[in-house]
Amino acid sequence: MKSKNKNLSGDVVEAQELTKAFGDEVAVDSLTMRVPRGTIFGFIGPSGCGKTTTIRMLTGVHKPTSGQLRVLDKNPIDFSKSDREKIGYLIQQFVLYPELTVWENLNFAASFYGVTLFRQRRLNKLLEFVELKDDKRKLAGALSGGMKRRLSLAATLVHNPELLFLDEPTAGIDPLLRRKFWDYFKELQAQGHTLFITTQYVGEAAYCDLVGVMYEGKLLMVETPEGLRRKAYGGDMVVIKTADWIKSETLRNLERLPFVRGKIRFTGDQQIEVIVDEANTAIPELVEACKGEGITVETVEQVSPPFDDVFVRLIERENSNEQIL
Amino acid sequence: MSRFFKFLIRISSFMSKELTEILRQPRLILTLVFGPFLIMFLFGLGYPEQNRTLRTTFVAEDPSSLQGGMDLFTNSASPAIADQGVENDKDLALAKLALNQTDLVIVIPANPMETVQNNQQAQFVIYHNEVDPFQIAYIQSAAQIYVNDVNRSLLQSVTEQGQANAGTVQTSLESALEKTKTLKQAIPPGETDAAAQVNDLEKDLTTAHDQLSTFQSVGSSVLVNPFNAATTPLGNVQFTPTEFFAPAVIVLLLQHLSITFASLSIVRERRSGIIELFRVAPITAFETIIGKFLSYLLFEILLAGVITALAVWVLRVPMLGQWYDYALAVVVLLFTSLAVGFLISLISQTDTQAVQYSMLLLLASIFFSGFFLDLRLMWQPIKVLAWSLPATYGIKMLQDIMLRGASAPPLLLEGLALIGIGLFLVNWFLLRRRMEVQYS
Repeated sequence: MKSKNKNLSGDVVEAQELTKAFGDEVAVDSLTMRVPRGTIFGFIGPSGCGKTTTIRMLTGVHKPTSGQLRVLDKNPIDFSKSDREKIGYLIQQFVLYPELTVWENLNFAASFYGVTLFRQRRLNKLLEFVELKDDKRKLAGALSGGMKRRLSLAATLVHNPELLFLDEPTAGIDPLLRRKFWDYFKELQAQGHTLFITTQYVGEAAYCDLVGVMYEGKLLMVETPEGLRRKAYGGDMVVIKTADWIKSETLRNLERLPFVRGKIRFTGDQQIEVIVDEANTAIPELVEACKGEGITVETVEQVSPPFDDVFVRLIERENSNEQIL
Repeated sequence: MSRFFKFLIRISSFMSKELTEILRQPRLILTLVFGPFLIMFLFGLGYPEQNRTLRTTFVAEDPSSLQGGMDLFTNSASPAIADQGVENDKDLALAKLALNQTDLVIVIPANPMETVQNNQQAQFVIYHNEVDPFQIAYIQSAAQIYVNDVNRSLLQSVTEQGQANAGTVQTSLESALEKTKTLKQAIPPGETDAAAQVNDLEKDLTTAHDQLSTFQSVGSSVLVNPFNAATTPLGNVQFTPTEFFAPAVIVLLLQHLSITFASLSIVRERRSGIIELFRVAPITAFETIIGKFLSYLLFEILLAGVITALAVWVLRVPMLGQWYDYALAVVVLLFTSLAVGFLISLISQTDTQAVQYSMLLLLASIFFSGFFLDLRLMWQPIKVLAWSLPATYGIKMLQDIMLRGASAPPLLLEGLALIGIGLFLVNWFLLRRRMEVQYS
C-alpha cells in the first residue's frame, strides 16, 4: 500500500487567525498553524476544547467565521471532487452500517469514493493492514469497539488519500490497541501520508512530529514533543540523587547558577529536581557545584516528565497567565 | 477513469448497500411478501359475498286483530330478515334488543285492515340498536324492503281473491251474453233502435268478458309487480367485495412500504453521523439521492411483482387489463411514494418522527384516497388533499386496469409522475442543503 503522493515538501494546512463561532459562543479562537506535508500532526486538548470544530473547518464541513484557511492549497469551502478524493476523514463515532459485514462496509466506502471496481486486492490489503482480514465476513454491528475503529480507519484509507484527518481515532480503546493504532499511523506516514490526528490522550503527543495544544478554543502552541516539555517547564529536567542531606543554603546556591531555571524542588529526602537550559552542558557543572558544596552525588540524569504532567503544567501556566517561553 | 464511470460507481454504492441491508433480513422480506398476501387472503375470508342477516323479533300486542294471521308479517321474502319469533310484549322484545339477543324488533300495527279501510296507512315501528351509520342505512334499506314485501304479499293475496271472484262473475257474464243473443233474435225486424241497443249491450258484455279473461290469465305476482329492474355493468363483469378492494389494497400496501423504507433511510444516516462523511467525500447529493431511489425502486418493483403474482394467481384477483399498463402504473406509484418517503426522511429529526409521519400518511390514504369511501361523495375542497396522495391515483389506475380492463387514464399517470418528479427535485435540494457546508 503506497501513497500516490511522494512530494514531501510544503505545508498541507495553513491556517491564519481562524475563528469559528456558533452564535455568541466562540468554539475556535484565532487559530494560526501550519501542518507540514508528510508529518504526523497531533492536535491535543481536553474534550470540548474545539478540536472537532477545527477538523470540521479543515475538511470543509464548517465554514470559518473569520480567518484564512488553505488545505492542499485550496480553501476547503471550494473543494472540488478531485480535491476531496485526496482527503480521508475518520469521524469520532462509528458511522458505518452495523447490518453490513466488514467487507461490505469497506466496499461501500470504496464505491462512494469512486474507487475502481477492480479493488478486491486493495481492500484485502487494507484489511490485512488493520488486521481484520479474518473478520471480513462478520457483521460490523457484532465487532468490538476496537475492531470498529480499525474498520473505520480502513474505510478512511480506502481511496489512498494523501491527507488524513483522524478525529480521536484512539478514543475509548484499550492502551495496547492504542499503541497498535500509532504503529499504523507511523506506517502510513512512512508511506507518504500526512496525518492530522486529534486526541484527548496527552501521552500520545510523544508519537507525533508536531503537537498543537488546544485549550478552550485557543491553540496555545505548536511544538515538537520535546519542545513541549521544555516549554512547560522552561528547560530540561535533571534529577540529582545525593548521599548526603541537602541544606537549604546549598539549594539557594545551586539556584543562583546561571543555567538553572526557577526553583529547585525536593522530590525525595536526598533527591532534587532541577530545571536547566541544556541538560547536556548543565549536568557536569551541576555535579561540580554539588562537590563544591560538599555533597556527594550518587546519580544524576535527565528525565522526561510524562506528557500528562506537561499538559497540566501548560494549562496551569495558561490559566495563571504566566508567559510560556 | 471517466467522470461518468465514477458517477455510476458512486450511485452503485447506495444501490448495493441498501439492497444488501434489506436482503440481510430474510424475516423482513418474508413479512413484506407474505404479509400483504395474508392480509388480502384474510380480507377475502372475512368478508364473504353475502349480506348480513338481521335476527328479527316481531311484536304483535293484539294477535287477534290481525286478519289472516301472523304469516303475512313473519314470512318475509327478504333474505335480510330472519324470523326469531313473535312476542306479545314490546318491552320484552326491546330488552332482548338491548342485550343484543336480537338485531331488529318489528312492531306490527294493531288492526291494520281496519286502519287501511279507514283510508289510513298502518305503520310498522322498527327498532334497532346500531350506532354505525352504514349499518343504520343497511337496516333502513332492509326495513323498506320488508315493508314493500308485506305490501306486495297483501296485494297479491287480494289480487288472487279478486281473480277467484272474477271466475264467478265471468260465468254470470257468459249467461248474460247468451241471454242477450236470445233477446237479439227475438227483436222483430224494423225495431232498429231496440236492435242497436241490444247490439251495444252484447258488445259491452263481450268486452267485459274478454277483460275479465285477461285479468284471470295474468299471474297475481305479475299484476302486483308489473315492472322489475335488471342492472348490468357495462363490462358485463361483476365482482365480489374482495375482488373490488384487491387493487386498492395492493396500492395502499405498496405506497406504505415505499414510504416507510424511504422515510427511515436518510434520517437514520443523519442520526448515525455518516452524512458528515458524505459531506467530506467526493459524493454529491444527486448521486446519493439517485442511488437510494434506484435501490429502493428496484426492490419495490420486485416486491410488487411477487405480491401481484400471488394476488392474481393464488387469490384469483381479476386482471382484465394489459400487464404493461399495470407495470407502468405501479412503477410511477412506487417512484412517487418513494419521493414522499424521502421527503419525510429529510424533514424528520428522529426515526420515531419519520414513523409517525408515515403512519399519518397511511391513515390519510385510507380515508381520502377512495379506498372505501367514493371520492365523488367528497366535499370539493377536501379533494385537493385526496389528489395530493399517491394512493388516490394508484387506486383509480389499478381499478381501471384490473377491473375494467382499461388503460390507466393518461391524466392520472402524468399527474402522479409530475408529483414524483417535483418531490424528487425537492428532495435533491433538501439533501444538498444537508450535505453542503454549514455556515451557522
